[in-house]
Order: sequence, then structure tokens, then C-alpha cells
Amino acid sequence: MVDDGYVNYFEILGVAEQAKPGEVRKTYRRKMKDLVLEIARVEITEERRAHYLLEMAKLNAGLCLLRDVARRNAYWEERNELMGLEQEWREADVKGADTDALRRAFDAKLRDFLSKYVEELMLDAGRDKECVEASHWDAAHERHASRILRHYRQGLHQKILERLPYAEVTPPKIDWDERRRVIAGIVAAKGD
Amino acid sequence: MARKAPRSQEKIVDIEIVAKALAKAVSEGDFVNFCLLFHPASPAREDSPERFETDKYAYLLPDDALEADPRFRESLAVVRRVETRAYIAAELRANRPARLPSALLLPLADNALRLGKYTSAAQAYELLRIRGRMQDELFRQADAALDGHDIAGGVRGYVAATGLAYNYAAFPEPLPAVADFERRALMLHGNYPETPEDCIGLQETGALLRTALSYLLLDPAAAARLEPRPEDIRVAFLRELVAKRDPDWPAFAVRFREAVAMADEFGDRPAGEGAPEGESTGTLAAEIEQQLRADPTRIMAHLVGRELAHAEWWQYLKELAYKHPPAPLFVARQTVGDVEILAPRARPDSPVTRTLGLSWQAGLDA
Repeated sequence: MVDDGYVNYFEILGVAEQAKPGEVRKTYRRKMKDLVLEIARVEITEERRAHYLLEMAKLNAGLCLLRDVARRNAYWEERNELMGLEQEWREADVKGADTDALRRAFDAKLRDFLSKYVEELMLDAGRDKECVEASHWDAAHERHASRILRHYRQGLHQKILERLPYAEVTPPKIDWDERRRVIAGIVAAKGD
Repeated sequence: MARKAPRSQEKIVDIEIVAKALAKAVSEGDFVNFCLLFHPASPAREDSPERFETDKYAYLLPDDALEADPRFRESLAVVRRVETRAYIAAELRANRPARLPSALLLPLADNALRLGKYTSAAQAYELLRIRGRMQDELFRQADAALDGHDIAGGVRGYVAATGLAYNYAAFPEPLPAVADFERRALMLHGNYPETPEDCIGLQETGALLRTALSYLLLDPAAAARLEPRPEDIRVAFLRELVAKRDPDWPAFAVRFREAVAMADEFGDRPAGEGAPEGESTGTLAAEIEQQLRADPTRIMAHLVGRELAHAEWWQYLKELAYKHPPAPLFVARQTVGDVEILAPRARPDSPVTRTLGLSWQAGLDA
């Protein structure tokens, strides 16, 4: 099953799927300390601020989710179910079956998953006492982060949608040599 | 469960009319009309109560001038292809959301891009999943044009590439990014300038170019691509970009120079003369005349080209940005007495000011 785009907090924190909550906390604190030191070392530009806020939000969310075994299991189950649904849709599409219902079900679940485990979880984690202590996350971070997290969520959504079968349009036949000619015409202002 | 629309027994849609309406949408790069023709309430569907013959749908059909247009005829030929026509007919009969034919969507997107309808082009390319790659290719060819000193070509490429930008952070659905200069101009002037360097027009050339290109291209990343190029190329690029964003720029340049003279005249007044509630002697008529003459809001009204009733500086700024998108780069907020106005701000000796025709010192204009 392809898992690119389905946010994986085990990978983000760099811990095994069986890692105990204590190990999760230890890894989180080490990673957050490295990140805070790195932020202190570099000059903060607009682009870097967005990058570091996102990294911080991901680590915070990783801690909040993985230190709680019940929550972690629910997340992993939902993630696997979603990937299974994607696989099912792709297989049905290859067979030429009617995939409309599958597509709708997948789309609704995907939106729900990304909202819950990207935007909402990351913002909630910023209010967690343990996360606030380690990352110094405050209301100003949250204000900046909401747009960045939305962007990140949509980016993941887009990454997943791009590999799925075409649903709203017929699959296009793209000839990139012809595309380059079209663009050359636009840059040279031909045919205006 | 959705209620099925009652089928109109007597309604027969002429497929030739549908073909012409689709060809019009394709040739004009009109994504909205194109989607409307496949919509459940489209006049092109036999199960819809809407009809092409009614006045409200006349805009979907080509007029005589358009029918003679080569781009329309080319689009019509694509729509009339047997397999495309059969596909369209089948989709219009199907009782489900239509799958749009990519064979028509691709030329529609290309035409939209040619005509500068970037929102339409971005949406169509996004559906075809080639928007990002088209953007990359546009940037690549625009950079190649700039390498060959084709400034106009470079600007066309950059404007088209940034026009295809998509805002994935838009809520609830990602949307094409739009050229909302009225909003961006307010952000540009969000803080009151404390020092002359805070006024964009008074900054040194490098900083001014960075801000101007980022603001006018609507994309700081695209502006950053131009950073390594020599200053004269970036100044020439800015001149072309200003002309593209505001074809009426020369008219603003004239008003800007006149506003500079007005601001100088106002600054030379003896203290107290310009105060709206100033103590005045003589007749009432003389007092009114003096107040009108000394009203500092005349400066921003002159910059905009008309007076706005009871308007604040930011209302003038929004109108200025709407009429002349590059203009907010050369104004700054200024408190005069108890009113805040927009005043013209530029360095007369700057290459940017000279090349844009804003320099008020004789013999300095490019």
C-alpha cells in the first residue's frame, strides 16, 4: 500500500511502532531541544519561520498522539483503513468497475483524517503543558501556525489526490513537447 | 437522496447549439461557463427545464463576430470531432455529475492563459493535474527569455506563471490565488512609517526593487528568482511589469508629479495656515476659502484622480491600488494636523523613479 501523504507520526518522531510512552517522551525532548538550538543559531526569515513552526507543530502532535496508547492505536487503525480504501478504489478503477461510491467514501474519510490528525491535533498539541514547556509554544505561534498548518494539510491532500485515478475529468493525454511549444508562444506573445 | 428532476417530454436540445456554446467557452477560456454547460441545471441537458432559447442564456452562445474568429472555429472543430461529440452527448444524458472531457479542457486552459484569464487557466490545469508543471515550465522559459535580454518576454512568462499560483491554504477548498492589490496595498501600509526608510519609495534601489517585484508579482518566491540578476535588468523588468499591471500608468505619473508639487506647496505654508480648525480672521467666505485651499486631503484626492466623500487615507489607498496597482509603492501615510493622508514619496534620483516617469526634477525622467 502507498503511504505517502498519510502523516506518519512514528516516522516524524523517529520511534518504532511498539515504542513505549517513556521512549516517545525521551525522543521528543531530544528532538525538540535540537530544533530549538537550531532555531537559535540561524537568522529567522519568513520562509524559515514557517518551516520551523511546522516542524515544531509536528513534533508536538507526535508526542501528544503517541504517548497515549489508546489514541495512538485509533490513529494507526484509521490510517490503515484509509490506505486500504485507497487501494480498493485503485483496484476497482483498473477493473473498470463503478468507483463513484468508493471515491466518495475515500474522499470524506481522507478529509476527516487530515483535519483531525494534521490541523486539529497540531493546534491542540500546542496547548498541552508538556509541549508548551519543551517548545515554548504560545498564542503568537498558534496565530502564525494556523495558516501554515492549513497549507500543509492541503499539500498532503494534493499529494494523495495526484496519484489517484481521475474522477472529475477524463484522463488527459499530455504531450510535453506540445506543452513547451504552447508556453513558448505565450512568452513570445504569439497568437494574442 | 437527491430528488430527480422531472423530465421535460417536449424538450429536445440541438447538439449543434451545445457544440457552439462549448466552443465559445473553450475559445474564450471560460472555465465557469464550460462547467455550467455540464451542470445538472444546464440548458444543454434534456432533463433540465432551462433552455438556450431564453434571453438569460444568450451569453452562452457565440455572436456573428465570434463565429468568424479563427480560435472559435478551431475550438468548434475540436468539439465536432465524432468521439468528442459522442462523449459530450453521453455525459449530458447521464444521471450523475459529468466527467469533463479533457480534450476540451486542455485547449480551454491554454486559451485562458493566452488571454490572461489566469484564475480560469489555473482551475483547468489543476483539474488536469498539470498546473505545477506548467508553472515550472513558464518560469524556465521566462528565465531563458531574460537571459537573452528579452525583458518583455520574461515579464509575460513571470506574470503567467505567478497567475497560475494556487492557494492550498484557502478555506475550505484550495482556490486560485488572485491579484488582490487593494488588500495587499493595505498590508504594505499597515504600519505608520517612523523613519524615511520605512517609506517604500524612499528605500535604496535594491530594497525597493525587492519589495516592488514581490508585491507586483504577488509571489515573493518568484521575485526571489530575479534577485541574482543585475540591477539594470531588474529595473527594466519592473518597468515592463508596471506597464503590464497598469496600462494607465503614464496618467498616474503625471498626477504623481503634480501631487509632489502640491505637497511641497503645503509644506511651505506658515505654521497654522493649514490647520482645519485654525484661528482665522476676516469674513466667513475668506475663512472657508482658506480652509479649502489648505486641506491636505487634496493631495491624496489628486493622486487618486477624484475626491472621495468623507473618506480616510485607507479608502483612498484601496481605490489607488485598484486603479493603479503599482502606485501604493510610491505613497506613504503622513499625519498633517489631526488628519492622516497619503503623500507621494519617491527619491527623484533613483533609477526606479526615473524609469517609471515619476521624477519631478527636470531632465531626470527616462
